[in-house]
Amino acid sequence: MRRIVEHPILKAKTARTVKFYFEDKELEALEGETIAAALIANGIDVFGESEHGRPRGFFCAIGKCSSCLMVVDGEPNVRVCITLVKEGMRVQRQLGRSDVV
Amino acid sequence: MMKTQLLVVGGGPAGLCGAIEASRYGVETLIVDEGVELGGQLVKQTHKFFGHEGFFASVRGFEIARRLKNQLNHHVKVMLQTTVVGIYEDVVVLYNREKDRTFEVQADYILLATGASERFIQFENNHLPGVYGAGAVQTLMNQFMVLPGKRFLMVGSGNIGLIVSYQLLQAGAEVAAIVEIADRVGGYDVHLRKIKRFGVPVLLRHTIKKALGEEKVTGAVVVQVDEKFRPIGGTEREFAVDVICIAAGLTPSVELAAMANVKIEYVPELGGFVPYRDQNMRTNVENIFIAGDLAGIEEATTAMIEGRIAGLTVAQSIVGTDLSREIEALQNELVEFRSGPFSEKVRKGLSRFFPQRTVEFSRQPQTDKGPVGKLRPIIECYENIPCNPCQTSCPAGAIEVPGNINSLPRIDYEKCTGCGICVSKCPGLAIFMVQENVEPGFDLVVIPYEMVPLPEKDERVIALDREGKEVCEAQVVKVLRFPDMTNLIYLKVPAGYSERVRNFRTLKRGNVLVCRCEEVTLEEVERAIELGFTDYEELRRYLRVGMGMCGGRTCRSTVLSILSQKLGKSPGELLKGRFRPPVMPVKFESILRGETNED
Ligand code: SF4
Ligand code: SF4
Ligand code: FES
Repeated sequence: MRRIVEHPILKAKTARTVKFYFEDKELEALEGETIAAALIANGIDVFGESEHGRPRGFFCAIGKCSSCLMVVDGEPNVRVCITLVKEGMRVQRQLGRSDVV
Repeated sequence: MMKTQLLVVGGGPAGLCGAIEASRYGVETLIVDEGVELGGQLVKQTHKFFGHEGFFASVRGFEIARRLKNQLNHHVKVMLQTTVVGIYEDVVVLYNREKDRTFEVQADYILLATGASERFIQFENNHLPGVYGAGAVQTLMNQFMVLPGKRFLMVGSGNIGLIVSYQLLQAGAEVAAIVEIADRVGGYDVHLRKIKRFGVPVLLRHTIKKALGEEKVTGAVVVQVDEKFRPIGGTEREFAVDVICIAAGLTPSVELAAMANVKIEYVPELGGFVPYRDQNMRTNVENIFIAGDLAGIEEATTAMIEGRIAGLTVAQSIVGTDLSREIEALQNELVEFRSGPFSEKVRKGLSRFFPQRTVEFSRQPQTDKGPVGKLRPIIECYENIPCNPCQTSCPAGAIEVPGNINSLPRIDYEKCTGCGICVSKCPGLAIFMVQENVEPGFDLVVIPYEMVPLPEKDERVIALDREGKEVCEAQVVKVLRFPDMTNLIYLKVPAGYSERVRNFRTLKRGNVLVCRCEEVTLEEVERAIELGFTDYEELRRYLRVGMGMCGGRTCRSTVLSILSQKLGKSPGELLKGRFRPPVMPVKFESILRGETNED
């Protein structure tokens, strides 16, 4: 786990967890966090592959770089850095541009 | 179709301040923001801001965001997770991700406060997961409390690079180095000093050449550059890091402004392409205003003032009240903030749009170190930055920032009572207290401390100097807790050391075992490496680590990873050494010199 448990300034906002799926694996997230934060907390850094087969991941965190596009509940091109994780959500790596633009 | 008098695009410091001022005069306002929370980049700022009290100096960024949100009144509506997808002649189209639908808005006035995006830089494998913008690392660790790695390389030494490095240390990560392509550090000296005290090396005239790794970052190759920023062959060094953090600057997000027919000009001093605007933050399009980073890359304080100017100007047009005096006061505020040497670039850039003024300030540093033997503050703030909480926080009126907030602070030791408030309030953590001869053979040093764990009274710690180097042992004699988390640690140090000690580290890791069989602690391994044992076999013989019953099965990889972290070599390289003894003996000294000489 990569969660910060002890911090001199910050306190954790919530301990309420939600379950979601990454490539059919059940994972735990904290309520109110983005999909990207939840994935990274679970040790997942590779969010997809570019058209040329290069691994892609998180870069800007504020919805500007489009590096974090994933397939969420069947919908491609979701910027997971600014999308909140929800109970039961299914998240998959996006390969290339995906079928839908 | 919704209607609003003012549409504010972007709920960061500039947008919020614009909305606050306009709504204060009853202007119906709609704030639209892409994020999941209002406050923009403020929500991930855990450090205290510079500036003066009127603009939240010495308040932490996320707290500023909270206070600004509370100042919005019922005239303000907020739509989060919403992107402005188009600005047309008579309508603005929004897309709300959560509801997955678009909205149309008609606004009499628009304030664009869209901020900036992180500049990307070119190096081999820069696409790899694990290469992050500095802001992204901040979002993860300070907004969501997730640390994406253990060991970081920071590229860029502007304020963002320095601040994020410090915040990484606070979150318990390691910063292998900060590389800076220029020959001087870009950010404030006080920020630099904060991280140097923890021993983080800053490599000037260096840049990143390559990210290592297949699926994700496992290391970075750093190279020295010449005066023309060309890499010098043969100077490559490898760092074993799992995140490369890029803090190479910001570019204003001008897309929407351009779409709204605002004239965009290229002004490198303001961050690249920026929209034209006048002193009231009005663009060439009558009803469109801009503020914040979009108007030129600066700091949150100037963004807030710009936002207020824009909000008041809009309110003046809508309500008809004459607000020119308030507006002018804020404009003068900006002049004052921008009078220092750090704003020279911004002034130059802005002079393209309207003439710039500056005000005088004093550059005289304090020379008087105060009466020996009295408990008194020493202010180590030597740069003309717009900041004065030291002055405003002192209950005895002993500190003065003469004339203008860009001046250097001075202290009147006659008036000081030694209460320590200024030490805890200084956002630059640049004030310490000392007292010589507090008891025979000992001096006292008071250190502002924002790390965990806090030491306890009577605990023994290792005192560090301004470069993070160990200088002596020290004893904690008092821990003064402050509600805003900048605590004061009173250290008793051997006489004569009060001039040098500016930080410390705890010894708690004495209980952390590396080798279970021989009971070798992490502390011992690290010390041995610092002594010059840089080879696994040497360490084994010196500490007996890995010589126990388990035959090194438990500890070998741990020792290798500690070695790799300390020496900046990949475990791969060290492992090769283990199977193939060195052909020629190398002095430990030379290896260590290789690691530290370009600091
Ligand atoms: S120690 Fe207290 S009295 Fe002395 S300068 Fe600082 S705030 Fe003022
Ligand atoms: S010493 Fe005063 S002016 Fe300098 S950083 Fe601290 S509070 Fe600001
Ligand atoms: S990480 Fe840049 S858009 Fe999501």
